[in-house]
Order: sequence, then C-alpha cells, then structure tokens
Amino acid sequence: MSGERIIRGRVDAGGALVSADPSLLRLQQRAGAGLGRPLALPQLARLVALAQRLQRDISRPLYTADDHSDIHALVRIAPDADGATIEISDWRTRPVVMPQTPPVADVGIVPHGWAWECDQHLRVVALRAGAEAPSIPAGWEGRSLSELFELQPDADGRFAVLRALARQASFQGQRVRVEIGGTPLTMTVAGEALFDATGGFTGFRGIAVRDPERTGAAPTSGTIDPAFGSLPLSDPQFGRRIDGALRGPLSRIIATAETIHGQFDGPIRADYARYAGDIAHAGRHLLGLVDDLADLQNIERPGFKAARDEIDLGDLARRAVGLLGMKAEEKGIRIDAPRTDDRMPAYGEFRRVLQVLLNLLGNAIRYSPEQSQIWIRVDREGDRAMVTVADQGQGIATDQQAVVFEKFERLGRTDSGGSGLGLYIARRLARAMDGDLTVDSAPGQGARFTLSLPAREA
Amino acid sequence: MAESFPSTGPDLPSPTLSARLRELAAYLAAPTAGHLTEEQRALSLGIARRLVTTLAAELDVGIDVTALWDDWLASGIPSAERLAPACFARGEEHRWRQQSAQSAPTVSPGTAETADGLPAAGESELSDTDRAFLALRIADRRRFDALGNPAIAVADLDPDLLRALLLDIAAWWLARDKGDGNRAAALGDAVRTTGEAQQSATGIDAEAKAYHAILIANGDLSAVAAGAIARHDWTTLVALAAAAGKRRYADMALALITAEAAALPVLLAPLRLDSAALAPLEASLAMLPARALAGDDAGSGATA
Repeated sequence: MSGERIIRGRVDAGGALVSADPSLLRLQQRAGAGLGRPLALPQLARLVALAQRLQRDISRPLYTADDHSDIHALVRIAPDADGATIEISDWRTRPVVMPQTPPVADVGIVPHGWAWECDQHLRVVALRAGAEAPSIPAGWEGRSLSELFELQPDADGRFAVLRALARQASFQGQRVRVEIGGTPLTMTVAGEALFDATGGFTGFRGIAVRDPERTGAAPTSGTIDPAFGSLPLSDPQFGRRIDGALRGPLSRIIATAETIHGQFDGPIRADYARYAGDIAHAGRHLLGLVDDLADLQNIERPGFKAARDEIDLGDLARRAVGLLGMKAEEKGIRIDAPRTDDRMPAYGEFRRVLQVLLNLLGNAIRYSPEQSQIWIRVDREGDRAMVTVADQGQGIATDQQAVVFEKFERLGRTDSGGSGLGLYIARRLARAMDGDLTVDSAPGQGARFTLSLPAREA
Repeated sequence: MAESFPSTGPDLPSPTLSARLRELAAYLAAPTAGHLTEEQRALSLGIARRLVTTLAAELDVGIDVTALWDDWLASGIPSAERLAPACFARGEEHRWRQQSAQSAPTVSPGTAETADGLPAAGESELSDTDRAFLALRIADRRRFDALGNPAIAVADLDPDLLRALLLDIAAWWLARDKGDGNRAAALGDAVRTTGEAQQSATGIDAEAKAYHAILIANGDLSAVAAGAIARHDWTTLVALAAAAGKRRYADMALALITAEAAALPVLLAPLRLDSAALAPLEASLAMLPARALAGDDAGSGATA
C-alpha cells in the first residue's frame, strides 16, 4: 500500500463512500462495507462528520487497522455541498509486532557507563562516556561493534547481540571485554533495535556499563517480579512479543466493535449495538493495559533515568487539560486549570511529566461524578515545584492511600476504566525525576494528588 | 506657585521588568505571529547550555561551568542574539525528528534464530557511498550529548559565533579570576587553537558535501533523497538539500521546517524529486506543532 502516494475517496452528503482508491476501498471492505455504503472506518467517519458539521477542511493523523497491520496516515477532509473529499497521504502500515522505537533519551546513560549507537551492520556511529565512566577508546568511529567490544558468549555459548541482530530485536546482558590504554575491562552491553519509518532496521542504540570488580556477580537479567510471578518482565524479548501479539488483534477487535456499535453498516438491534460498545470499551482497556505493561517494562529496566528538562508545570497542566478537556465535557465536568500566566518552573522530563499529569487528570475525570469540578493548581514550597489535581470523587480512605500506588491496585473498582498500573508508573516516573507523587484524601471528600519536582528559578 | 515633577517615568526598571517589557513589546509588535512554546524555549536553552559547557571545557577544564551558566542565566547570555538562530534551528530540527521517531512504525522481528556468526561489516566491503553515508551519520550523532539531548557540535558552529562565545567565556573566567596575567595569555592561546581546530574539523556540512558529491557522480542523488523522505531520514534529506543548494545544514533544516507546503518543491528543486515523493515530508511537517512558518519568504530561514 505504501506505493500509492495520495489515496483519495469521496463521501456523499449521507456519509456513504461513493468512490475510493483501491487501498481505501480495501479497508472499507475489510470493515464489512463497500461502495455506496456508509463509511465503516469509525475514526475516518467521525472526521468526515466533523468536517461536514464545521464546513471547513480538517487535516488529522489517522490510525486504523486492517487484517494484518496498523495503519498510520495523514488524512485531509474537504467538505462541500454534496459531501466531502478524502485525501490520505503518508500512508504507512505498521506491522502487527511493534517494538516501539525509543526516543534517543529513553536509553539513559549511567554515570559509569558509555552510550553507543551502531548502524545495521554493527558499525559504531556514536560513543560517549558518562561522567564517571572510563574514557572511550580513540578511533571508534565506524569500527565494528564486535571489534570494539570483544564479545563474550553466554552460558549456552551464544552472543546476545548477534542473536538480536538476526532477529532485529533488542538485547541485554551481552558481556564484553574492552581494552583501554592497555587495561582490560569487562562491561555489560544492552541495546534497543532501531527502525526507520518504512520499518527498515537501522541499527542499535544502547549502553555499556562497567561490571563490578568482583567475580561471580549475579546475572542482571531474568529477575522475578513479585507482581508477575515468574513472568520475565525484565526481558525485553518477552515484553516485545507480548506487546506485538496483543496489540494487533486488540486494535482489530476495537475497530470492528466500534463499527458495529456505530451502526455504520446499517441499523441493528439496540442491545446488540450496546454489546459491541462494551466490547470496544473492554478492548480499549486491554490495549491500555498493554501500553502500561510496555511502560512498566521500560521504567523498571536497570539504568532507567528520566531527562532533566527545564519545564513549566503550569504549561504542562494546561496541555493536559487541552488533551482531556473533551472527555471531561462529556461528563459535564468543569476543569479549573492554571491561568495562562500561572508559571511554575521545574526540572523534569517534558513528556514524562505530561504522562503523569494525563494519568492524574484521567483518573480524576474517570472517578468524578457528573457535573462536578476538578481543580489543577501549581504551587511552590521551598525547592519543590508542585502541581495538584483535586476532584470531587468518592475519595480514598487513609488506610487505602498507602496502597493506591501499588501495582494493579484499583481499590476495589471493578469497572474497566484502568489497568491499576497508572499510579504505580506515575510515582516511579516522579521519583526517577527526583520528585514524588502523593495523595491526600478522605472518603466523600474527593482526592488531591500532588506531583512535586525540583523547582527551577525562572 | 505651581509645583513641578519631573516626568521621567518609573525608576530604573529591574532586569526582570525590562525583560518582561521587551517580551511584551515584541508581542505587541506582532500579536498574531505566534510565540515560542515552553518546549521550544527549553530545547534552545538546553542546547545553548550544552554548547557553552563544551566550549568552556575546550578553553580550560578548570572553568567552573556551573557558576558560569548561573551568572549568564542571571545577567543574560552575552551573545544571545547570535546564538539564538543556531539554537532555535537545532531545537526545531530535534522536535521534528523526535516527532517522526515517536510515530515511526517498526518492523516485525526476523525469524532467524541462529546467526551466531559475525555480521559482514568489514571495512574493506564499504563502498565510497556507504563510507560517505556512515561519515554523515557519525557527524550527525556528534550533534547529541550522551543522554541523547540535542546539541551543536563545535565543528558545525559558525566560526564568528564560535569566536564570540569563546571570548565571552574567557572574559567571564578572567573577571572571576581577577585578571591573572598568565591565565589571560593561556586563555588567549586556547581561543586561537580552538578556532584553528574547528577549521580543520569535518562537521556535518563537510560530510554532507562529500556524500552529495558521490551521489551526483553516481547519478543516485534523486533516488537516495526520495528514499530518505520515505524512511523519514530527515538528516540525510537536509544534508543533501543543503549541499545541493550550497547552504549550511542548519540553514536548510530551518528553511524546510518553516516552509509552507508550496515552497517545498522550490527548496528541494536541486534534488529533482517528483511531487509525489514530497508527500511524506509535507505530512510530517504538517503534524509538527508550533512551527514558525516563513510565509511568502520561505527561503529565508526565518527564526522566532
């Protein structure tokens, strides 16, 4: 499908797809409809309806799924008196397995380690030392990783990095020997696989950490997480496979269920439509759980470190409100956000802080009664910059506040609105940024979650 | 008798108030122009700090960089006006690439389980084209710090700006050190040698030119540029466009990021790409929030 540059389609005033290029028509058919039938792709149908209602062009990213892959594209809807024209560009299929390419900063360097990157042939293109690390060898540019690092086989005689190369997957626990100024050093290397926008493997990026100077050190991989029993959560291979195995089917379940729920292919019995809505809701919950597990695996990785960006908590709070404001409006909830001139300079990783705030605000919206209010305030106490999200929900008893940040702790809530990992992840992230996440609440009096971070002088 | 009061306005304003008033004046001068986001400010400031830290270490490893930066944060960075375009260009390029990286689809893992043999990566197998591309990639990765934050490599810095920054840092260090004569001479030498070292260093501009020349010679330029767009390999695209247009990499990056869609074919004309090949580029740029669009003056590399 990626061969077609612009994919076009036409929808009539009634929302039926009257013409479409083959790729778009194929998607429509896979969703159980065809030409002359209502547009069966829920997100696209909503965008068309929105453009028609506003009577102006809309350009948005589009995420959908067919039988085999997720699809990312940019869609432009141009409404007119007789319907709307659809133009889809930058159509990209994402294979079912999705080993999320980390942003550069995700591979955090430890002070006594090196950060490295190599191309698809293992030629080193970047090598940098942490503050307390041994200095890097000269002339590393373009050398083979396996030449720079003398690879040591594992107990089975295998090399993690080479197996990862064959699978184009991430790896960890590769022991290597390096000679620096005539002194041999033993290091452990881990790396993430990198891919370009067409899915082509472009190399690895990772860290090399000097081993403790003692023999018989316990292996770093394969630790058992109490919350997951014997599941090797710290093994990226395992996480990646689970992620890939679940995400594709779940996306298709959600897309199909939403199509049925929206009755895009004609009216069905109301209770059946409701059941389909329930299926889509449950699917989204499971997809959220997969996202959370992927995140959990990332932040629990040894050496995980958040960046220290110069941020403004007021700005981030307003961004979070911008993203979730619509969801609050659906429940008639009013969000009292910091004013545009309310600034609270702090240090923390921009996107991680936004992630925490989205979690807190999302929880507040989820557990607040309709027609209630949520307050977000920024404040400073000494060297801590704080942002507080307060709601008028049922509140949390004192004895429960201690466990609310535990994994899978949902305080008896059995609805399908959350995985029980969000607050655990949020607190871990806050602490990785030298901050904290606390709760103050009483039954019947709502909850106040406060994220504190190192303050920054404006 | 009439009393008279001198109408000299308020007392001397504090630096903070002055800064606010300057910001307001800039806003009032162009209220609809859009303004820097916090993310853009943070990126540029971080890039400036990393550059100053690197240059200070080049001059004298004994320089207290923390104190230097704190002083400059309080009093203003001396070469701010000249530094701003470089930091902004690097920051915007980083935002663009990060957005692409975050939305990049990835590939399914291969099924090969064995392959415990060394990959074919021998130096002797590298073609000139591959070697030039590898050098370009290495030059690009020098534009990050160890944590993956965007930075400006000394080799890529405008020589005049480099000299101005080195002199500013040296002046600060001398003032703090109460003008030690020996240190002044050593710093003067260091400024000179750092400048000379930069002239012989090959940064991303030199590597871009070398790669471009090889592709021209092989007749591969358009195909490689189109491939770079399809892969969202913006470094290669910018490098080739810059070399083809005889511009600096940073200028071309900013020109692309600030270009209206209609200006892209003009900017990339030397690469001889068909309009369909530009679609992913156009889409990627369209999704980048808070762009400073250059409007009709698309080729000028407007800054914030």
